[in-house]
Amino acid sequence: MISPPLAGERSTIVSHPILELRHISKSFGMTAAMADVSIAILPGQVHAIVGENGAGKSTLIKILTGVHQPDEGEMLVDGKQMQIRSTEDAQKHGIAAIFQEPMVFPDLDVAENIFISHHNLGLVMNWATQYQHANEIIARLGITLDPRRLANGLTLAEQQTVEIARALSLNVRALIMDEPTASLSAHEVDRLVQIVEALKMRGVAVIYISHRLEEIFRIADTVTVMRDGKHISTKPISQVTQQGMVRDMVGRSINHFSMKVAANAHGEKILSVRNLTRDGVFSDVSFDLHIGEVLCFAGLIGSRRTDVGLALFGVEPATSGYIEVARQPVTIDSPQSALKYLIAYVSEDRRKFGLALNMPIFANISLPSLKKLLRLFGLIDRKAEIAMAESHRERLSIRTPNVTIDVGKLSGGNQQKVMLAKWLETEPRILIFDEPTRGIDIGAKTEVHNIIRELAIRGVAIIVISSDLPEVLMLADRVLVMREGRQMGIFDISEATQENIMALATGQTAAMSQ
Amino acid sequence: MNVLLRNFHPQTLRVLTLAVVLLLVIVFFVSQIDNYFSPRTLNRIASSAAVILPIAIGQAIVVMTRNIDLSVGSLVGITAYVTGDILAYAPFGPFLTLFIALSIGALCGAFNGVLVAYGRVPSIIVTLGTLALFRTFLVEYSEARTITTDSLPKWVVELPQTTLFSVGVLEVRVMVIVALVAALIFSLALWKLRAARKFYAVGSNPDAAIMAGINSERVVFTAFVLSGMLAGLAGLIFLARFGNITVVAGLGFELKSIAAVVVGGVNIFGGSGTILGVVLGTLLVDTIDNSLIRWAIVSEFWREALLGILIMTAVAVDTFMARSYVQLRKLVA
Repeated sequence: MISPPLAGERSTIVSHPILELRHISKSFGMTAAMADVSIAILPGQVHAIVGENGAGKSTLIKILTGVHQPDEGEMLVDGKQMQIRSTEDAQKHGIAAIFQEPMVFPDLDVAENIFISHHNLGLVMNWATQYQHANEIIARLGITLDPRRLANGLTLAEQQTVEIARALSLNVRALIMDEPTASLSAHEVDRLVQIVEALKMRGVAVIYISHRLEEIFRIADTVTVMRDGKHISTKPISQVTQQGMVRDMVGRSINHFSMKVAANAHGEKILSVRNLTRDGVFSDVSFDLHIGEVLCFAGLIGSRRTDVGLALFGVEPATSGYIEVARQPVTIDSPQSALKYLIAYVSEDRRKFGLALNMPIFANISLPSLKKLLRLFGLIDRKAEIAMAESHRERLSIRTPNVTIDVGKLSGGNQQKVMLAKWLETEPRILIFDEPTRGIDIGAKTEVHNIIRELAIRGVAIIVISSDLPEVLMLADRVLVMREGRQMGIFDISEATQENIMALATGQTAAMSQ
Repeated sequence: MNVLLRNFHPQTLRVLTLAVVLLLVIVFFVSQIDNYFSPRTLNRIASSAAVILPIAIGQAIVVMTRNIDLSVGSLVGITAYVTGDILAYAPFGPFLTLFIALSIGALCGAFNGVLVAYGRVPSIIVTLGTLALFRTFLVEYSEARTITTDSLPKWVVELPQTTLFSVGVLEVRVMVIVALVAALIFSLALWKLRAARKFYAVGSNPDAAIMAGINSERVVFTAFVLSGMLAGLAGLIFLARFGNITVVAGLGFELKSIAAVVVGGVNIFGGSGTILGVVLGTLLVDTIDNSLIRWAIVSEFWREALLGILIMTAVAVDTFMARSYVQLRKLVA
């Protein structure tokens, strides 16, 4: 049995759990996704749940929201035993969830997005009152947002706010937030923290799931660690250290935070970019990239780093500027031309740009390199194709029973590796990574970092676009900081600190002299 | 541009643009064709649009839910023919006849709806199938007979000429008013009825609709029933307008209705659109369609090609506008 979590600063108030899981187990076929998990969720508290991918967090969310039914154990809502059979059921009990990818209706305005789940507001819409009510709910979150705006065109953070407002309008009492900050900029994270505070004040229990440990220390009252479907520990945040939490998560002691490999000796210049501009998006980006070097693009969301990457890969070509590859001036106006100069781009959006999820692993890997596999009459050598995939599977330790299963069935980290394999097969000289470790767990993250460093050592020139500052500091030889489409400066890694990067990225006037 | 973006919903902008285009097209034909601007031309366009408008409204609702109804042309044929056949045996009054026509349409629409919503067969396949199926059924049912004016009750035969009121020399026909009333009802419903907002929701983001506890299957099913019903209404108007009905009645109306819908600003990918836009889209399509017959320079055989070009242009423009809207919005904000 676990002891009920202490209520941190509110320990004097005796509060009863809104939600209690007792000895919950759930298996899918032979795999136990959750085994004997017991957790109590108290009102007005942020209960963080951490664990690597596959630790059982997703299953937990699905059981709480009625998507899955537990095989064993019981759930209590307000101390009474309940069964949650569907999302509507969960909604009735005041349990709602928001996810990394917000679930909004782009063609409807903010107010309608908030009230869409209300099925008892009468037959006829009263738009005026609806806008008024939307305003009230938005005000309760302590933010400003025009309820008449279409959801289409809202930032990811704003869409998330709409979802939180929706939950609040349904009198949510337990709000599950699954990786809510994975795509937010530092400023937007601050605002989300404010909103969470506002929710706490209203007695809402927040179940907070995140890979970002810094955030958990900032926001959580209680931390539960899960591993392999088991409940490892539940402690008030004051009794937890970052190292201890990571140890609980991975079940071994790894020193994740001091893994910086010494910078490589740089080879010759491979890429030279001068005054690269895409009208209305970014302007005057200039840098050099050397063989074996890792150049990180740091900045907030909206700083247009990805757009520079897309321009270098020819997806959204630059409108002016000068690019030189291996001392030859080149024009990059399409991905085909970029590939010709052996530039590859590993997208941040695996689902959209990176992988064909319903195709097998081997077909994804071979896609840009099919020419190598062509035999007589332009037929594809299937054996060679599979062998190609197998070699990457081994080298990148892609965890899968075989390479013929669909990519969509792999975990996020392994999908990322498949995407990497696909571009490695093109033998790029310049490799652009966009948020290579977004949304993947610490174990897989470390592996991806090692792969990137190894590639650099083997002579690939690498650009990494990342919002994760510790990652930037660990990987980079140099850091290019962008803000709102402009290049703010380039640091050598020896001079770069979280503070001076953030100062440039946020445009603080008192930025460091560099 | 900033002012426009701040104050207008993109749909409003779309409708305004369309109104301007319609005006330009009319001005163009006035300059090209002698005696173009006459009550006769207007009546002709209005009568033709009165048949297409109900179908286009139904099509719009279906398209909003991310589906398409290709069977509407065959449905118009069936309702026009079968209703005419029933009237030949039993000369019912207008209201019972209307009920019969709507029921036939709704029944066929329900068949589409069950297969799409509950059978999970893509609507383009289901309605392509029923496009052929309904037409073949009609051919079999008719045994190559033709419904003729003299077998129809007097009120049906006189309906096309029945004028409700006149504005100067312009006579407003009952049929036109029926179509416009249908447009008004659906326009109001889509704006004001909470249940009707679900058509937008399901088309805008099907996954989110499920998460929001919306019964998407029922919503999609309802869309097809309504589309069928409105095609039934169009079938009745068609019967009254032409009197002589053969098995080819309503042939090609799917193309016309889809043109009216996408030109009218309903997003072909679902989630947005207004009935006002559809009314303007229908008018534009029918104006072009009816004017080309009289325009000496271009052969009237180009009418269908032009519809095709219109559809492609409208969707291309929409895609482009949607992209720039989001970008412009970001710049303004």
